[in-house]
Amino acid sequence: MAGYKPVAIQTYPILGEKITQDTLYWNNYKTPVQIKEFGAVSKVDFSPQPPYNYAVTASSRIHIYGRYSQEPIKTFSRFKYTAYCATFRQDGRLLVAGSEDGGVQLFDISGRAPLRQFEGHTKAVHTVDFTADKYHVVSGADDYTVKLWDIPNSKEILTFKEHSDYVRCGCASKLNPDLFITGSYDHTVKMFDARTNTSVLSVEHGQPVESVLLFPSGGLLVSAGGRYVKVWDMLKGGQLLVSLKNHHKTVTCLCLSSSGQRLLSGSLDRKVKVYSTTSYKVVHSFDYAASILSLALAHEDETIVVGMTNGILSVKHRKSEAKKESIPRRRRPVYRTFIKGKNYMKQRDDILINRPAKKHLELYDRDLKHFRISKALDRVLDPTCTIKTPEITVSIIKELNRRGVLANALAGRDEKEISHVLNFLIRHLSQPRFAPVLINAAEIIIDIYLPVIGQSPVVDKKFLLLQGLVEKEIDYQRELLETLGMMDMLFATMRRKEGTSVLEHTSDGFPENKKIES
Amino acid sequence: MAAGGGGSGDPLAPAGVPCAFSPHSQAYFALASTDGHLRVWETANNRLHQEYVPSAHLSGTCTCLAWAPARLQAKESPQRKKRKSEAVGTSNQTDLLALGTAVGSILLYSTVKGELHSKLVSGGHDNRVNCIQWHQDSGCLYSCSDDKHIVEWNVQACKVKCKWKGDNSSVSSLCISPDGKMLLSAGRTIKLWVLETKEVYRHFTGHATPVSSLMFTTIRPPNESQPFDGITGLYFLSGAVHDRLLNVWQVRSENKEKSAVMSFTVTDEPVYIDLTLSENKEEPVKLAVVCRDGQVHLFEHILNGYCKKPLTSNCTIQIATPGKGKKSTPKPIPILAAGFCSDKMSLLLVYGSWFQPTIERVALNSREPHMCLVRDISNCWAPKVETAITKVRTPVMNSEAKVLVPGIPGHHAAIKPAPPQTKQVESKRKSGGNEVSIEERLGAMDIDARKKGKDDLQTNSFPVLLTQGLESNDFEMLNKVLQTRNVNLIKKTVLRMPLHTVIPLLQELTKRLQGHPNSAVLMVQWLKCVLTVHASYLSTLPDLVPQLGTLYQLMESRVKTFQKLSHLHGKLILLITQVTASEKTKGATSPGQKAKLVYEEESSEEESDDEIADKDSEDNWDEDEEESESEKDEDIDEEEDEDAEGKDEENGEDRDIASEKELNGDSDLDPENESEEE
Repeated sequence: MAGYKPVAIQTYPILGEKITQDTLYWNNYKTPVQIKEFGAVSKVDFSPQPPYNYAVTASSRIHIYGRYSQEPIKTFSRFKYTAYCATFRQDGRLLVAGSEDGGVQLFDISGRAPLRQFEGHTKAVHTVDFTADKYHVVSGADDYTVKLWDIPNSKEILTFKEHSDYVRCGCASKLNPDLFITGSYDHTVKMFDARTNTSVLSVEHGQPVESVLLFPSGGLLVSAGGRYVKVWDMLKGGQLLVSLKNHHKTVTCLCLSSSGQRLLSGSLDRKVKVYSTTSYKVVHSFDYAASILSLALAHEDETIVVGMTNGILSVKHRKSEAKKESIPRRRRPVYRTFIKGKNYMKQRDDILINRPAKKHLELYDRDLKHFRISKALDRVLDPTCTIKTPEITVSIIKELNRRGVLANALAGRDEKEISHVLNFLIRHLSQPRFAPVLINAAEIIIDIYLPVIGQSPVVDKKFLLLQGLVEKEIDYQRELLETLGMMDMLFATMRRKEGTSVLEHTSDGFPENKKIES
Repeated sequence: MAAGGGGSGDPLAPAGVPCAFSPHSQAYFALASTDGHLRVWETANNRLHQEYVPSAHLSGTCTCLAWAPARLQAKESPQRKKRKSEAVGTSNQTDLLALGTAVGSILLYSTVKGELHSKLVSGGHDNRVNCIQWHQDSGCLYSCSDDKHIVEWNVQACKVKCKWKGDNSSVSSLCISPDGKMLLSAGRTIKLWVLETKEVYRHFTGHATPVSSLMFTTIRPPNESQPFDGITGLYFLSGAVHDRLLNVWQVRSENKEKSAVMSFTVTDEPVYIDLTLSENKEEPVKLAVVCRDGQVHLFEHILNGYCKKPLTSNCTIQIATPGKGKKSTPKPIPILAAGFCSDKMSLLLVYGSWFQPTIERVALNSREPHMCLVRDISNCWAPKVETAITKVRTPVMNSEAKVLVPGIPGHHAAIKPAPPQTKQVESKRKSGGNEVSIEERLGAMDIDARKKGKDDLQTNSFPVLLTQGLESNDFEMLNKVLQTRNVNLIKKTVLRMPLHTVIPLLQELTKRLQGHPNSAVLMVQWLKCVLTVHASYLSTLPDLVPQLGTLYQLMESRVKTFQKLSHLHGKLILLITQVTASEKTKGATSPGQKAKLVYEEESSEEESDDEIADKDSEDNWDEDEEESESEKDEDIDEEEDEDAEGKDEENGEDRDIASEKELNGDSDLDPENESEEE
């Protein structure tokens, strides 16, 4: 039984953006839910404890949303002025927030009125955070000071007056209860130690610092300000590791993915970029409708919440995986059937005869095998095939051409079928990977149908379209040829320089050059 | 009733421009635009009634305005509001408008005289006036200011009657109670004053931001069985800057309840509010709120005690331009103000730009939750001026000038005004007057706006856009730049772009060269430009070959098919020309074919005649035959004539007869044959 060799489908490299694991991961979110807030959303913070509620600070209110609720499950609205930076404590039971009038207020999640009010700042408090021991609060304000407060006594413990401009961001170390970091509009990021009364480290960011972030390990510090995101090594005494410039407007917020493998930055240019923390390359990017002010990721990256200047809160939930499993699977033959007899060990004197594995042939291959060439061509010219896998169609055409029967396969078609073929040609003729095959096919079609031309206005129209396309492509290629000439010239001048320096013949240089390229 | 300039109170709120309908019949709409002009429009026919420029309009812009209330006598002629002014005496047509300015003075403008009536300065405010309210009966005027004070004015004497400190911060809004004995004032918190003693009667929590509008919504108490002291039980409404909630408060007898009774939500900050007062308990309050995003929200609610949830609007009205064809999508037209007509069933909408608002009466249909009116604003743009009044000065607009619509973010649709119809008249008048137009001033300063071409402006931003797009890899931004067809623009952009973006641009172009020839041709233009402009830079690069290697390869692989493609193109051209040629010839031959058809039709007629004759009878055979023959003869004669007229004329009649005979002989055969066949 002479085997039939199936048509080799040529694969081509996929053009354009590569689909990576990251794009798959970050695209796997549902369409965003949009919630209109009362003003620009300046801060979003997730509770570290289940059920992972999040606090949204906008205008003079703090809303707390549940995981799926679009209505706030709780509202703190007892602010006379704009509230800032509502942050959960590690246990998710207390919430602290700063205010435009310089007050810092501490709330119980279940209560309504503030538990504690820390008075001491004279200007707006833009950043507050709990220290790692849960009993202290760090705050930074527009009066250039950073203060450490004691929660039980509601008293001020320490004041640091080292910044020379507004303090707009800060965070406390998750490991050491005495360490915290603040970023200021005086372009510096300072690390303070509550035990020493002074800053222990200061790094120069170069722009007004809008956001800072400590890695969970505490060894790396990320600062954002201006268009830059910079990563510093704290253990080496504040050495600059990486400087990223991927936004074209000020970066306003930073966030780490829950695994710590990805860093997210949001900017006024309405984009969120995702960086890998190993290579510090942008691996993904989100677009939003307005300038982004705040950004937060839920536990296990289940939810991305982004707050914008126009007061819209965009909430994206991860698509649930459970759905796939719920589809009942068709019962297949058990595994035993497949391995039946396969594990039989050959005894001595036995001759093992393998049954040739049954080859699975595609439908078009079956047609080709039985020399139904016209049928095979019909099959691959079906819209489902031409749109999804044009390379199969092209491969079949090529195979038919190799067999010398393409003319026969193409002949004897009516107006509708021929317009199908022409459609395919029009669509794919300009692609360089298909061009040689399709040009050949087009010539054959013209040869075949020349006598009957002018009888069908539909086909005539298609030919006209094809002609327009070919004309454009020719113009384009002419332009390309000119450009190639330019580039040759450029390469040649370069070669000549090298040639004169190494004392080589310039004429040898050019072919070599070509070899390198091809 | 006039909503004393909603949103005018605070510099934080640039959206609202002080404007108000004249009380009761809304015959006029006064608007103080940001250029310092006070314009009074007729609401009925949308005409500019008057225009007035205060002498200090640039230093002290108008911050708020209020119409004087109609007095009792005015009810006799309802369409025009009068106020009897003692200062003028005889004239009973003085319609006064009070204008507050940013420097603290208050101007009284008479719309009838068309000029300034008087000015209230001495002893008044020394800072921006935030709100003005007329007292209904006493002819007093109340004003509040950023200097924290509230002033009571005697309008007749133009003097301060009383001045007291109203708040710890600036006082942004005022409202007088329906009975005229109490005054509401608000900065952030709201206070209710007893006017006689100037003491605080009640406090209300107010808003987090400065209150921009205050209004009483009821004039009767909800519970009519209890004795009514003029204030207890009344509801009032407050809206604030940057706040999407309008709060309703109730004046209670006890001083405990300070929070709002209920609230209305709207989509954006309210800039203008109007309402219909509810006279009794059953009648709902109708409320129209114009938001900063240009929408109007209508509420209809019976105020009845506490309601926790914010109420949403019953109806939303929007206005948009009609989308003409595919290119121009409908653009929203901002609504600037809305006022209820006296019948409470229709609404006056003011929309368009502040300089040329259109006023339209819209009947209310509360059934639909959302109304979108389509209006073509460009047609009704030319200013229509009542030329009879000589004091009117219409704005002189150059056709090339672009009217920027101020204050409404999100509505940047600058609509070009049509050239004004009264231009010539204007220029004459202008030459007589001593005021110099802005245009002339600019001309004197030797600033010529036309010198700068459009290209210049665009190329200034294109390199920036390009670099930003390349750095952040923004697809849309790059599309915007790279898909330009203007070769000059491309050249200029490439010239001005920074050197470090050359290689990223080349890489981006490499990506885009692979596509359809339509778009790829544009990329080649860019590539050529880069290569020509930055040739020297590129040749100095040490790693040029690896950088441009892929690009070179890509292009080479594409042009490989050039020869075959040209061959195919040749074939196609031939084909197409054939097709078109055959179509042409078809068209040419069709009349010739028609002539043949005519001949066939005649023969068939003849046959049918014969058949009928056959059927008739055999007795009449000969006659019929003769008839048919003669008929046929005539027909053929005609044809013969047509075919060869010249010959016939030459040969003369003899020949004619001979030919007739011949033909007769021939034609004899046909019927016979047929009969034989039958």
